[in-house]
Amino acid sequence: MNKAIFIAALGFALVTAQAQAADIRVHYAIPTIWSDTQEKLADVFMQKNPDIKVTIDGPAEGYADGVQRLLRESVAGNLPDVAYVGLNRWRALEARGITKPLDPFIGNPMDFEKAGFSAAIRSLGIYKGKQHALATSASTMVMYVNPDLVKQAGGSMENFPTTFDGIIQLAAKIDALGDSVEGVWIGRHDWRFQGVLGSHGGRPLNDDESDVTFDSDAGVAAATIYSRFLKEGGMPTYGQNDARQAFPAGTLGIFFESSSLLNKFTEAAGKNFKVNVLPTPVVVKDKSKAYFPTGGSAIVMLTDDAEKQSAVWRYMQFVTGPEGAKIIVENTGYAPTNTIVLSDDAYLGNFYASNQNARVAHAQVAAHAGPWYAYPGPEGVAVTDLIGATLVEISEGADPKTAIKALADTVRGKLGMK
Amino acid sequence: MFNLSRKSREALTDMMLAGPATLAMGMLIFIPVIIVAFLSFTDYQMGAKTLRWVGVDNYATLISDPIGRRAIVNTLLYVAIVVPFSIALSLLVAIGLHGMADWSPSFSKALRAAYFLPVAATLVAMALAWQMLLHPSIGLINMALIHVGLPAPAWFSDRGLVMYTLALIGIWQSVGYNMVLFLAGLAVIPQHLYDAAEVDGAVTVWDRFWTVTWPMLGPTTLFVAVITATNAFRVFETVATLTRGGPAFASDTLVYALYREGFVYFKVSYASAITIVFFVFVCTLTIVQYRVLQKRVHYT
Repeated sequence: MNKAIFIAALGFALVTAQAQAADIRVHYAIPTIWSDTQEKLADVFMQKNPDIKVTIDGPAEGYADGVQRLLRESVAGNLPDVAYVGLNRWRALEARGITKPLDPFIGNPMDFEKAGFSAAIRSLGIYKGKQHALATSASTMVMYVNPDLVKQAGGSMENFPTTFDGIIQLAAKIDALGDSVEGVWIGRHDWRFQGVLGSHGGRPLNDDESDVTFDSDAGVAAATIYSRFLKEGGMPTYGQNDARQAFPAGTLGIFFESSSLLNKFTEAAGKNFKVNVLPTPVVVKDKSKAYFPTGGSAIVMLTDDAEKQSAVWRYMQFVTGPEGAKIIVENTGYAPTNTIVLSDDAYLGNFYASNQNARVAHAQVAAHAGPWYAYPGPEGVAVTDLIGATLVEISEGADPKTAIKALADTVRGKLGMK
Repeated sequence: MFNLSRKSREALTDMMLAGPATLAMGMLIFIPVIIVAFLSFTDYQMGAKTLRWVGVDNYATLISDPIGRRAIVNTLLYVAIVVPFSIALSLLVAIGLHGMADWSPSFSKALRAAYFLPVAATLVAMALAWQMLLHPSIGLINMALIHVGLPAPAWFSDRGLVMYTLALIGIWQSVGYNMVLFLAGLAVIPQHLYDAAEVDGAVTVWDRFWTVTWPMLGPTTLFVAVITATNAFRVFETVATLTRGGPAFASDTLVYALYREGFVYFKVSYASAITIVFFVFVCTLTIVQYRVLQKRVHYT
């Protein structure tokens, strides 16, 4: 063969090899919500970055399964390069040294803020001053309201109460409409409780996470809301699934639930009634002290390889940037985590024009997003179920103050505090 | 070829037939059980790179912790309800359908299929159907109860009631399978035994049942009891899909607790301890049932 052609061919081969230099593996969970979105994100990203090939691992069924799988893969030494995990789950990976801190990639925080990453949103992925995760989708607890029941009970959407007192009164009136009609329901669950707590300006843990603080005055007030929902609002002893069936069926008036279920409820209610979304009331006087724990997903870097890390960082910037946020919001119903898409109508202006409920929900995220506190240590997940159990007791009649103080002591014991 | 005696050649054949399966069983069952038993004495967490020997700590926690104890008590309660009711009901149904086959074979067959349906269907899908039926306010059953003026119980969210609701579903689910086993048992009872019993003075249906049917069904009943009990001990799907052990751990069972501790809380060592306790329970129960019942069972 002619030498020149050979060298040219070799050179070409090298160039194409280099063009495919980075091949990154992506892990995600909950295909029922995410599968189409993930495909779209990968396709658009690869169009813009032809030198990087994105391979998507078979998805995990849920965030818990996903973390399990990542832990197993880390033991076996075949971790993917980048992963989407639950906002409340990435700490399990961080605790085992699996995630890579992102601060060296972020560089100047001011520039990063200008790129649409607000301090509130960044805080969702920070532990001990280091950025380990970037939020990719967010949801907080909102109020779903059935306007037909409100009207029948003598209320109106225009004068809908904005305080818990008003809501409890209205709930009692709705509850009185019939045997199978219920006024209000809220999940007896760690995340929902943190929401009511944050609305009162409380926090579940102190700053250095050395003590639980949900037995503060704000915590007792939050637990009292559960108790009053039962005693004054006639809250039924539903399970989470019962309530999720009852609301779209039109027999539940007011339902405190994650904003991520908006599409599902709107679809399920169909022509039954028009689902209305309102923000969760903020009780604390200084509104800046209120926050709502944010559910959703975050993206973490797992690879050790420097070359792959730079490819992964480009991918992470894309999916958390305005273009990625637009794809995620339009396809999943989650709120965006990039502030540019909220301020610049070029991205989601049309979407919000036809989705007033989404606008309300997403505005709450933008105003009050806060971390979904994960309790530290090996018993961290287990205590969230203890919290849920105490909320069940309170919403069945136990005294909120005694119950929440006893719970705090139990949790301190479990977590080895004091 | 080697000159082996007939006996050793047969032995070699036996080894070749049973060997691979034995080897696979050793690798896939016994070795994992040993590993699980070992982990139950450590503090191993999923994904952790180190582990520490903690002795019987995990077992002590399981017995002293109110949540662990509740899982054990709930499981025993579930077994205590499901086993007798499932056996009694399926025997009644089997005797009824066996008799019905004489005068209306096609109707008997249709009913058999209906009773067997819960066994053939996936329990998870069926559990969702139960969830709709038993919804506290918009479920068909409670709407009917409200309609006739009866109180409408919260089947899955009343802490005092939830285990009984799950047991009811457990019975519903196992009756069909046990019925098929009893039908097979009934089919092989020779008619001449009934004739002989009648000659001997067993004139009522009741007499014939106690002198012929029940003793002849002994081996079947033993088998049904062992199978139903081990299945009841393993109750998981209904708990996982309908209640997730809630409300407030009121429907926690051993296998669900094992799943929760190991796969949700990542406490592999504690989950291993639960596994061993579960294993001991099932083995003990099976051996006791076998020993006690076998004395009374007549194999023909």
